[in-house]
Amino acid sequence: MTTHSRGVQSAFFLACALSIIWPSPAPAKTTTIDDSGTQTIEPAVILRWKSAAPSRSGTDNRMVGSTTIRVRINVTPWLRHTGRIYLNLPAQQPGPIAASWITQGRFLPGQVHSGNRVLVYAGPITTPFMEDVLTFQFSVDGTLIRRTFPVTFHFEMDEA
Amino acid sequence: MHATPPSLVASPSIRTFAEHCVRPCREGLRRALVGAVLFGTVSSSASAYTVTLTAAAPQSVYLQVGVGSFTNNYNIGGQPGNNTTINTVSTMVAAAVVGNGTAQAMTTDSTATQSYWDGYTYCSVPGQVYIGGFYRTTGGTTTAALVTATVPAALINATGDTIPFSKIRWTSSGNGDTGAEPFPAGTFVNGGVQNVGSMSSNTWNESCWTYSYLNNTVPPAGRFTGVVRYTLSSP
Repeated sequence: MTTHSRGVQSAFFLACALSIIWPSPAPAKTTTIDDSGTQTIEPAVILRWKSAAPSRSGTDNRMVGSTTIRVRINVTPWLRHTGRIYLNLPAQQPGPIAASWITQGRFLPGQVHSGNRVLVYAGPITTPFMEDVLTFQFSVDGTLIRRTFPVTFHFEMDEA
Repeated sequence: MHATPPSLVASPSIRTFAEHCVRPCREGLRRALVGAVLFGTVSSSASAYTVTLTAAAPQSVYLQVGVGSFTNNYNIGGQPGNNTTINTVSTMVAAAVVGNGTAQAMTTDSTATQSYWDGYTYCSVPGQVYIGGFYRTTGGTTTAALVTATVPAALINATGDTIPFSKIRWTSSGNGDTGAEPFPAGTFVNGGVQNVGSMSSNTWNESCWTYSYLNNTVPPAGRFTGVVRYTLSSP
């Protein structure tokens, strides 16, 4: 009986161990959100030298510019779910780009460097559309700028 | 500017189905939701927002010979301004030493001693004239901007007597400086345009010039004057 009891005990612990190890959490599914309702309040971003004069070493060549964008994203597919919304600034030409933004409260303010994404909302999705006015400031190394260039970003949803 | 992809499927049918569904049909609802989400995902294309960035005033230059104007030092956000002051360098040669070959130091009425980069006291007055500036440009421009001096043929007095401008030279240095000066030592030409220095793009450059009169000829007595104009030219 004692031996048998030990066998049962071992099996029990093995079962527990398996139940802990095997069910790995499913990776969050990421989906680009439809932002076709988004509008730019100011049509173009004018970049100016952050510092009118350069440094002695020639290392401070950032140009900065601001624009205000009325963001309207369609989150209908996730209605009554909980989700995490990110602003994604992909790596793109002419090179490293930094963006920071302030909001009117619906989304979180933040900053991001190209090639990364930052959380702007986490919580329940209670309305088909989410809107906010974001004032962006972009920062780019002026020595990389040869002409007018586009900067693209998008919002994406990680479903809980 | 703004790519407008087809919207994700709003799927109003889900809402209708859910409104009428009660506990026994929960499994059916779940399948409908999964199907709708998959359909929505497949039918969507990547949505992205694009803004266009343009560099305004991509080029700017600043040259200061003698006094200049900045709202504050560069390293605390100062902005350059215009200054129309024309500074003077001069010397008075005593009759006993005129033409003896001993160079006579020239002094300036410029009060510029500090670098507008950080406020560091770089030059000493009245013995030195500050010269500095920068050339701002976008892109990967590597060609330097040139600083030139437009020099008259000679200094002249009230009666028309002259002293060649080549009788004036300058040395270049700066307090605590090491290495080559961006605006090196030189001697004026007798009329013409001569290079007196250069600036790599997007760098701050500065030197302090100490002028002297060679004093190796004997000109007529008098007050001899002339004006040299310095110009910064970007590529």
